[in-house]
Amino acid sequence: MKKIINAPENLVAEMCEGMLMAHPDKLALNAKYRILTRKSPRKDKVSLISGGGSGHEPAHAGLVGVGMLDAAVCGDVFASPSTIQVYNAIKETKSDKGTLLIIKNYSGDCMNFDAAAEMAEDDDIQVARVYVNDDVAVKDSLYTVGRRGVAGTVFVHKLAGAAAEEGQSLERVKAVAEKAIANVRSIGFALTSCTVPAKGSPTFALAEDEIEFGVGIHGEPGIVRQKNASADDLALRMMELALPDLPFKSGDSVAVMINGFGATPLQELYVLNRSVALLLEKAGLRTHRTFVGNYMTSIDMAGASVSLLRLDDELKRLLDAPAETAAFRV
Amino acid sequence: MDRLTTADMVRVIGIMTEVIIANEVPFCELDAAAGDGDFGMSLAKGFKELKKARAELPTEDIGAYLKAGGMIITEHCGGASGPIWGSAFRAAGKYAEGKAELDASGLAALLQAAIEGIQKRGGARLGDKTLLDALIPAAVALKSDAETGKPLLQAMESSAKAAVLGAEKTKAMVASKGRASYVGERSLSYPDAGAMAIGIIFTEIARRVGTP
Repeated sequence: MKKIINAPENLVAEMCEGMLMAHPDKLALNAKYRILTRKSPRKDKVSLISGGGSGHEPAHAGLVGVGMLDAAVCGDVFASPSTIQVYNAIKETKSDKGTLLIIKNYSGDCMNFDAAAEMAEDDDIQVARVYVNDDVAVKDSLYTVGRRGVAGTVFVHKLAGAAAEEGQSLERVKAVAEKAIANVRSIGFALTSCTVPAKGSPTFALAEDEIEFGVGIHGEPGIVRQKNASADDLALRMMELALPDLPFKSGDSVAVMINGFGATPLQELYVLNRSVALLLEKAGLRTHRTFVGNYMTSIDMAGASVSLLRLDDELKRLLDAPAETAAFRV
Repeated sequence: MDRLTTADMVRVIGIMTEVIIANEVPFCELDAAAGDGDFGMSLAKGFKELKKARAELPTEDIGAYLKAGGMIITEHCGGASGPIWGSAFRAAGKYAEGKAELDASGLAALLQAAIEGIQKRGGARLGDKTLLDALIPAAVALKSDAETGKPLLQAMESSAKAAVLGAEKTKAMVASKGRASYVGERSLSYPDAGAMAIGIIFTEIARRVGTP
């Protein structure tokens, strides 16, 4: 394993410090509980909190700032932050309008964020929750717990963030988040595995010519291992799964996110965007905005995901609203 | 030895802590097949903090010790393990409030309380391919041994064997809770890491608890 790292057990703490040092105008850090918050918080709007395991940078701390999150809670790599970490984030960002937790649908995240919300509610803090489950890869399973929350979460942060920044009520901000969740679909694939520092070796093994289609963002195996295909073929396969799932219909306006998993070069993400854009055009979809880059990575996994968000007038307005975070700017 | 005193429970948790810390990497490897490989690390992190705080934890009764241990786990264990193990400790602690010793049936009831705490937080049942598939058989064995008057140490041994067997059976289950559930049929033939860990921990506790 070759990484830029000191002691693996200090990785997350050092990463948080490094982020703070890079963006002192935007961020503040609670080092004890590894919470990155806005440098200049507002008490007169709904507080938005998200987070999860580390290893998805820039998500979520890179999404803290005006127009998006108020706090990001950083767990160990690929492990949800603890109940007490999340509880402290809620306490620290308590506002006059209540708090919304944007939770990615994974058992650890759900349990820790839920337990923290319950503790905060005991303290008379008003807390609402939404669960993001945009990944269409794992479905029709006999025992499904639900779908995973992946890169589409970034859209949820943006839309709910804009609504909160406008001063909307907790009820309205939650409704916007839920509308975003209901209208976003994602699917990804991996060309390589990722390597978790504490483990020191790749999480799974892929042959030279193999990809993991439908991969998750923690190095979880995806739906099927297959031979690599051309960008056009991969895009077709992905759109065949994603488009009918909502379903996206001809005439719909969409926002597109081509999300790199960390080790894929920008040039390849742009090639993939071309393949996807041509298919969307063919399907009669109108692309309102496109975002290409690393937003919700999986440490050093090569691969990408595509997220499609169907927009109505309200969501367009909220998507276009200004945002000033380290990683997401409109 | 026909009952566990508070001092014995402190030793039991100490053995559990040692096993978890020593098995940090093996437990991760167990988890990598169908999970995301973090189980060993998440658990070890919380139990390392527990080890550090050991001397300061309250020992007026078993409940106080377990509850305080639960709070540390809840603070320092993230992932899916934190809430599950934290809930287990806190629920067991609540049951053992004011108790300075536990006989075999008390231990069975303690385990049952832990199981209920876990189910309240995580919602899993027997057969969902989680640590409950080791814990529930262990509790059932302990309860029935207590009812037939089996000596405590032997009952603990049988309970550990039931846990190990329960963990083995998870190989044939398709995961439906926890991280492994996103993998569905591909988790078949891999045991659940949490269940395996319970089997290993209970075996070691049964082996060593009788000799201080």
